[in-house]
Amino acid sequence: MTPKLDIEPGSSTAYHTGDWRTRQPVYRNKWPPCSQTCPASEDIQAWLALATEQHWQAAWQKLTERNPFPATMGRICYHACESACNRKHLDSAVNIHAMERYLGDRAITRKWSHKPVCDTPQTQRVAIVGAGPAGLSCAFQLARHGYPVTIFDAQAVPGGTLYSAIPDYRLPKSVLASEIDAILALGIELRLNSRVGKEISESDLRDQFDAVFLAIGSQRPRQYPGKESSRHRVMSGLEFLHRLNRGEQIALLSERKPKHVAVVGGGNTAIDVARCIRRLGAEVTVICAQDSHGNHHRELGTEMPASLQEVIEAETEGVQFIYRAGIRRLVRSGEHLSGIEIAHVDQVYDRHGDFNPVLFDGTEEFVPAGLAIFAIGQETDWQGLEQLSQSTQADGVWLGGDAVSKSKLAATAVGSGYQAAMSIMADLKGEPFVFDTHKKAQITFRQMSLHYYPKQSRHEGEVSEQRLDGFNEVETGLLDDDATHEARRCLSCGVCFMCDNCWHFCPDAAVIKKAGGYGIDDDYCKGCGICAQECPCGHIDMERLTG
Amino acid sequence: MDKRDPFRHNVLTSGHRACSGCGEAMAARMVTDLIGPDAIYINATGCLQVFTTHNQQSAWQAPWIHSVFANAAAVASGVEAALRAKGKDTPVVVQAGDGGTFDIGLQCLSGMIERGHDVLFVCYDNEAYMNTGVQRSSSTPHAVRTTTSPPGRLSQGKHHLKKDVISIIAAHHMPYAATATIAYFPDLKAKVEKAMRIKGPRFLQILSPCPLGWVHDSALSVTVSRLAVETGLFPLIELEHGELTGVMRLAEQKPVEEYLRPQGRFKHLFGSKAGAVELRHLQALADARIRRYGLLDADTQWDTACAMQSVRHGRGGYASSMPTSEAVKNDT
Amino acid sequence: MKQLLEGSQAVAEAVRLCRPQVVAAYPITPQTHIIEHLAQQVANGELAAEFINAESEFGAASIVLGAVAGGARAFTATASQGLLLMTEVLYNIAGLRLPVVMVCANRAVGAPINIFSDHQDSMALRDAGWIQLYVESNQEAVDTLIQAYRIAEACELPVMVCMDGFFLTHTFESVDLPTQAAVDDFLPPFHFVRTLDPADPMTLGGGSEADNYQEYRSAQQAAVEDAQPVIEAFDAEFDDRFGRAHGGLLQAYRLDGAETALLGMGSLMGAVRDVVDKLRDRGQAVGALRLRCFRPFPAQALVRYLSGVQRIIVLEKAISIGAGGILASELRAALHQAGMMTPVESVIGGLGGRDLTPQVIESVFHETSRDEMGATFRFAPDHVMPDETDHG
Repeated sequence: MTPKLDIEPGSSTAYHTGDWRTRQPVYRNKWPPCSQTCPASEDIQAWLALATEQHWQAAWQKLTERNPFPATMGRICYHACESACNRKHLDSAVNIHAMERYLGDRAITRKWSHKPVCDTPQTQRVAIVGAGPAGLSCAFQLARHGYPVTIFDAQAVPGGTLYSAIPDYRLPKSVLASEIDAILALGIELRLNSRVGKEISESDLRDQFDAVFLAIGSQRPRQYPGKESSRHRVMSGLEFLHRLNRGEQIALLSERKPKHVAVVGGGNTAIDVARCIRRLGAEVTVICAQDSHGNHHRELGTEMPASLQEVIEAETEGVQFIYRAGIRRLVRSGEHLSGIEIAHVDQVYDRHGDFNPVLFDGTEEFVPAGLAIFAIGQETDWQGLEQLSQSTQADGVWLGGDAVSKSKLAATAVGSGYQAAMSIMADLKGEPFVFDTHKKAQITFRQMSLHYYPKQSRHEGEVSEQRLDGFNEVETGLLDDDATHEARRCLSCGVCFMCDNCWHFCPDAAVIKKAGGYGIDDDYCKGCGICAQECPCGHIDMERLTG
Repeated sequence: MDKRDPFRHNVLTSGHRACSGCGEAMAARMVTDLIGPDAIYINATGCLQVFTTHNQQSAWQAPWIHSVFANAAAVASGVEAALRAKGKDTPVVVQAGDGGTFDIGLQCLSGMIERGHDVLFVCYDNEAYMNTGVQRSSSTPHAVRTTTSPPGRLSQGKHHLKKDVISIIAAHHMPYAATATIAYFPDLKAKVEKAMRIKGPRFLQILSPCPLGWVHDSALSVTVSRLAVETGLFPLIELEHGELTGVMRLAEQKPVEEYLRPQGRFKHLFGSKAGAVELRHLQALADARIRRYGLLDADTQWDTACAMQSVRHGRGGYASSMPTSEAVKNDT
Repeated sequence: MKQLLEGSQAVAEAVRLCRPQVVAAYPITPQTHIIEHLAQQVANGELAAEFINAESEFGAASIVLGAVAGGARAFTATASQGLLLMTEVLYNIAGLRLPVVMVCANRAVGAPINIFSDHQDSMALRDAGWIQLYVESNQEAVDTLIQAYRIAEACELPVMVCMDGFFLTHTFESVDLPTQAAVDDFLPPFHFVRTLDPADPMTLGGGSEADNYQEYRSAQQAAVEDAQPVIEAFDAEFDDRFGRAHGGLLQAYRLDGAETALLGMGSLMGAVRDVVDKLRDRGQAVGALRLRCFRPFPAQALVRYLSGVQRIIVLEKAISIGAGGILASELRAALHQAGMMTPVESVIGGLGGRDLTPQVIESVFHETSRDEMGATFRFAPDHVMPDETDHG
């Protein structure tokens, strides 16, 4: 046959170069590190994506699927998400906590209400002991799914430690109250001043409810183990904060007002206490057994557990820090406390991993203090719950929150409440429950091409100049434009944002663009790997072909 | 005709036989789709012609002709003259490799420009004769290993410098001559679109890495071409009527070694004293080009960081609840 | 209307009458006058064409290639070194089956460099796939050029009109130029089916391999072969319209009853006819045969014309170095194939502009064949005085 002098356009498509391929690109969503580290397992990237488009309410709804306290958490959470944010390898992390607060505040001012997931009311009743973040989170999930829920709390005000242990300058009471009200509006019954063992018995709980969730927190401060019998001018951090939050601001320091206060401890409570004391007008020194951030001893050391951001704020406010110091004794003249004798700490934790500092002789120093506040941890008080606390899920009893978790972060408690609710609902329905633990992050900045993202400065709220004048909030929320800006700074790690790179760069026109995404045409993809290499967010994997 | 992609014509479509990761195929796809199917394409002999047309199969979806190696610019002159004679203004585009531009095709190209033909000449510069098995061309940079500039006891690869063809072209006092590369699509797009708005002869030199000849991983074609720019070895410039009218500033100058390391064609330079001299020479060449075109201090917002920025065409999504792209793929 | 015109100008006027839309050329002696006239016609507005001054003959050939592929009728002209520089493109034009028409103002090929006429240049391109028509006079050049476009476009083949440099290009002769209307009637407007056009995109000049390359070549060979009756038919039609014919493929002179035939191409045939007349007057049974169409090679027609003669002398102005006469060799092959053993004497002469005078031609006729000495050809004597050949 005579061959044609003119060749048909596009006739090469009869030749399938896909046969050449030894590896192939696969579009695959990855779980980003922000969400992995979030103790409440929020899909941060998802609600930021909605915020990018200024779908604020949708973003708030997406966020509250996991955490009904955005305004609260946006203020108080130590945002591990930001430490994990891949963006810090480009410029600085996305201001996730400020975004969370922005959405929460927006919901409060616009009075957005939570929507039930399921309109069919359930009949099985659930009791929750403790109206702290874990209990409320659990109640929120159950109520959204139609379950009748009753919360019992020994206190007169709901919120648990969120109410009692967080100073106003970090979390105004009205913000917390608004978010709790929004949760309760789902039809949750709240019984305050109801301590189990007093106002209601353990057996009543068991009889009247199909499931019980114990989220009683850890409210009892660990005591200073020193031998002194006198408790004069010695206080726990929790007690200090509780009294402050109950409005005893003046009383705390009024009686022979000390000029110097020593706070012992390296956690966030210690910092909270110290910052409060600054606001009450006294000098304060934090005595911490660990090293400062980024400065820890290679063999012995551990960083102080407090959040770096909090330490920086405290330093800004004039809080003094002494690191690697342990307490020898309280120095008194009579009943009067004149200060604390400290010594250098060598090893902080013993070989069991318990806090057991070794102090070196001959390194003693005197720290003057008219008041010593110990913020060295807390314990759970199981009084009145002796039987229930020994029960298991098989008995219809769930435990959660600070009472059982090592981490005492509010966000962890929220996550714990969510898990409990899911477990309870599965149990009540007789379905197996797969424990939805934090998904492992599947994407690091090394898998991404950060040069495709423009460098953009991080926008913050404004910091009050009169921060020490009282207990008003130090930082304002983001403005609308800043919120949009921050949302758009999200790199969308591991999740396609349709930048067209794979489509542009495919030498073989084997990437086909469609409405809402891209596809690989296996007939022609030669497996060169350029699409994966140049995908900004690491959404594309190259997989070796087998067989 | 192949119409698989609803968002793109695919002037150069699938089924072509370029090597995996071919920078020239990518560049040609980008350029021809930016220009579109309503143009006449003239191709010099070379990889692009070889891998796109094969035994009664063609990957082109626009009128396309190949004659011989050296004459693409002259054929284009004839096509353009024919169109002019017939009162048509169909765009005419030449595509050639560096051999067909710097070497064997330079005379015809010069003639085409001098006579002012309304033709866009696109040189896909992969810095050697790749189609014939990686022989050196006048575009091959200094010290590169090719099959005809092999390193040996007395040699560190190519002895001579890469021909400064853009200066030669621009010296014709032509309306528009520019360099570009596949790594910066927004820059390439702007230059192609600008070129298509201008009448008269126009010239684009597009650095197009060749995984086979440059000896790098096929996935790195874009990365390597980006590094060529970021090190200053391949300045992205625009020349109008011989005058420098635009440069892409380097947001940050990278050492040439970052560009050379991933490429096997420079491998012989690492680990010997004589090689070290050539490495310093290559760095000095980059520095000189940076100074010549003011790549670090040019008064422009257009820099290597800004030309890289990806645009979000979608809302992004959520790893947790959005349908994956695999699902999208499956409903084809 | 008869006009006294230089050959180059006559050809340029013929080109104008064919309405080419693109003319491309690069100057080389003795082609220059042709393109100078065309440039002037364009400058005067007499010829509505794009006149492209190429940067080389290679470029010029490529430009007309592009022009025809772009849908325009095109013209170029060259000679000698220029033709050889075009070689690659000329093969390509033929392979693409583009109907390009060009004039080769035949000239010797260097080294040593020589600007004067012989056929070495176009003969070197005999295998390129072009139709080659060798003209004897300026009138024939004009007429053949017009026919060439008709042939090229009908057959989708390129046509090279070969006219001897200086002998024709620079010689003034009386030429009858046809009217534009008559040429328009004879030559329809240009239309090429494989025109590059976005409305009907196609790929031209794509790669081929062993799978089909030979089929392309056999199709091309058949097309060139099949051009023979077309060339004859258009010459006959031209005769009907204009009252002039040029023999189609070849032209015989006093061949009836001839025992010896003198065969040649181009302008030398005028002198050959004079010699035939003189020898006939002296009782020698001599005739002449002018080969007008060298490609396609009209083997059957040659055999038919030469079947009655006992001796054939081929005069040719080119040599295949290391082999001898090209035309003679091809003729021998044709005769052999037809079962004829007629001796063919191959005489090479007129190289580099040397005159093949009647005396030289006559002396060739009188010389004994040297075939018995093993030589397949001989060179014509360099110069022969009139009295030396006067055997009468």
